[in-house]
Amino acid sequence: MKARKKVVTAADVRLAKATGQSKPAKAKRTPTVRTIKSAIVPVDRSARSFSGRPRVETGSAAVADLGAPLAARPTLVEREALDRIDLSIELAPQRGLRLPNPIMVASGTFGYGVEYGEVVDVQRLGAICCKGTTLRPRAGNPPPRVTETPGGMLNSIGLQNPGVDAVIEKYGPVWQGWKVPVIVNVAGESIEDYVEVARRLDGVPGVAGIELNISCPNVGKGGLQFAIDRDAARAVTAAVRRATDLPLLVKLSPNVADVRPIAKAIEEAGADAITAINTLSGLAVSADRTRAFLGNTYGGLSGPAIKPVALRIVYEVAQVVSIPIVGIGGVTSLADVLDFMACGAVAVQVGTAIFADPELPVRLGDELRAECLRRGLSSCAPLVGTALPKRTGAPSAKGAEYRP
Amino acid sequence: MTMRLVSAELVESRQILPGQWIQSFHAPELATGSRAGQFVHVRTGDYSGLVLRRPFSINTADLVTGIVTLHFRTVGRGTEWLTRAREGDRLDMLGPLGRPFEVDPRSRHLLLIAGGLGMAGIRMLADEAVHDDRQVVVLFGAQSASHVYPSSLLPDEVEYVVATDDGSLGHHGFVTELVTEYEAWADQAFACGPHPMLKRLAALAAGRRDRLGVAKLGRKRGGGKVDPLGSTAARRKAFLQVSMEQTMGCAVGACLGCTVIGVDGPLRVCREGPVFAAEEIAWESIA
Ligand SMILES: Cc1cc2nc3c(=O)[nH]c(=O)nc-3n(C[C@H](O)[C@H](O)[C@H](O)COP(=O)(O)OP(=O)(O)OC[C@H]3O[C@@H](n4cnc5c(N)ncnc54)[C@H](O)[C@@H]3O)c2cc1C
Ligand SMILES: Cc1cc2nc3c(=O)[nH]c(=O)nc-3n(C[C@H](O)[C@H](O)[C@H](O)COP(=O)(O)O)c2cc1C
Ligand code: FES
Repeated sequence: MKARKKVVTAADVRLAKATGQSKPAKAKRTPTVRTIKSAIVPVDRSARSFSGRPRVETGSAAVADLGAPLAARPTLVEREALDRIDLSIELAPQRGLRLPNPIMVASGTFGYGVEYGEVVDVQRLGAICCKGTTLRPRAGNPPPRVTETPGGMLNSIGLQNPGVDAVIEKYGPVWQGWKVPVIVNVAGESIEDYVEVARRLDGVPGVAGIELNISCPNVGKGGLQFAIDRDAARAVTAAVRRATDLPLLVKLSPNVADVRPIAKAIEEAGADAITAINTLSGLAVSADRTRAFLGNTYGGLSGPAIKPVALRIVYEVAQVVSIPIVGIGGVTSLADVLDFMACGAVAVQVGTAIFADPELPVRLGDELRAECLRRGLSSCAPLVGTALPKRTGAPSAKGAEYRP
Repeated sequence: MTMRLVSAELVESRQILPGQWIQSFHAPELATGSRAGQFVHVRTGDYSGLVLRRPFSINTADLVTGIVTLHFRTVGRGTEWLTRAREGDRLDMLGPLGRPFEVDPRSRHLLLIAGGLGMAGIRMLADEAVHDDRQVVVLFGAQSASHVYPSSLLPDEVEYVVATDDGSLGHHGFVTELVTEYEAWADQAFACGPHPMLKRLAALAAGRRDRLGVAKLGRKRGGGKVDPLGSTAARRKAFLQVSMEQTMGCAVGACLGCTVIGVDGPLRVCREGPVFAAEEIAWESIA
């Protein structure tokens, strides 16, 4: 074997000085017979040089206190009053999709509900929208697939998923044992794809509903997205409606000039509810500025940065449809939830914010309950639509004038 | 140990090299459950508008004191925010995450190879190996002497061999050029650093048997049973394991944001990794 050397670096000397040692650690050879020092030594000295005992406060309770909920420790009387508040909502009045509370988790940000393990008590969520599911398995886009942007992030996952059959086989039995409704987010490249996925999900125990992600290129129409083409949106919704009796949610894309005709078409085609919005199309540049950062060039923008866009779309859609609307986009606080409700959403989905704060969706449910108590409400219905212009006859055209 | 959200109290923060910091946190839940190669996802301050956590390798973990350390370089807003944390501040960490290095129980000689901040990825493995009475050589590469990880921060028992790009300390050239000197001695190699370095190491590892003249005469154990690629058993038998990086969203396997391309399709760095056997990666996809 080669002779070995241990190097003493300039930084050693500096460190030795800084830590008050007269001499740097001596260069050593590995002895053939060695005495082993005590196990797993951290950066020595550091722990001891710290003056004052570290306060030990362990567990996630300590962490939860960082973002202290309004009614973190309610009294018994408050507890009873809180329990009397009914946060449940009906997302599909004709078919039945009752959520225990209006805080859902958004597709693509919560996997299949199992990934966060014990960190999140999924049973306390309003509903889970699982990762976009397609007929056949998809490997997704080349990496890198995510990057942070001011107040948000871009993603270009490319609908990586194992295909609907594998999803049913692997997660169906798990979901069946849960009381939280699981809504399967469905994507496809043709109407036939969507229909076939919906058919296979129909009647599967543990599947509470379907959310159509129509922000996908329609191969039949030269790659034009279903979501930006009113007729295609209508056609895919109607076709899936015929294929299944499952509660059907359809998710709007913000990447259109006017979302209202599309929303109306989706309602007319038989959707039970509308969810809005999906991500905004965006781009980031690589550090050396020689190419786009994401492997797929384009990505979808999400997070707090898109909340005003999402609010605007919910506000507009709420004035032209009468089915329930679920607001999505940049929800990070109770104030955001209340904003979406004021603009006409009966529920919200939390997405990107989960990455920073996995406990947020469950906490928002608690905070919303406390807010209702504070306002003397027995449900959150009175919070919905308060910011909308009064409906008198024909739907308002307000909102359009703010578009550049 | 299963992952959890931990409130970690900063007990010491010090700059060990220009732009490089080691921070010590009191976080017994992390210290007891983590193994070399795993990482934590650290939440940065909301006020600065950062929406994602930042992943860092667990640099060291001490069961007795409950101290874990992170070693990082300031490269952007998140890491700069970290340097401003003060003693007594509590940071929200999700961890331990990912799969650790898998050392074959029969391996006596471990070759650890780090490029730059890759030291943080293998540092804890040096502790574990010394504890398990294995011999360790650490090969380390940096731009120049002023970026070389201080040997005083390594256990005394390890051999530390340095290469610098400009020759200002140790071997003049890339750290990968040192590997062939040790490949006969090493039973297994573990690496963390820039992806081009890992790619070069994978190529070297693939040619190792031929260079050493070791014939592939069937397996010593296991009766010809082939462990599935990516399984713990297969990794344990691999000569080279690498710790990889990718931009992340959730870090728990939910968003599929952190993939690298494997020979059998995309692999999540946060879940199947960050440590992989070299054979699992489609190296031609790595720039
Ligand atoms: C498993 C794993 C372990 C890591 N361990 C260490 C470590 O021990 N020490 C260390 O210094 N660095 C480590 N990194 C890299 C570290 O995560 C980045 O340096 C850090 O996120 C940069 O954040 P920033 O805000 O300062 O930089 P910015 O460039 O402003 O960050 C912008 C975004 O890109 C992400 N990002 C930037 N660089 C990287 C990168 N190399 N890998 C992943 N995401 C990146 C950030 O998380 C953030 O979301 C590790 C990365 C991974 C994936
Ligand atoms: C990593 C990631 C993956 C996503 N995947 C899907 C998807 O598969 N299907 C879908 O309809 N929406 C997907 N979305 C969009 C979200 O469900 C949500 O509409 C969007 O992120 C806006 O909400 P947010 O600002 O709270 O994140 C994804 C978002 C992210 C960040
Ligand atoms: S970061 Fe979300 S799957 Fe790895």
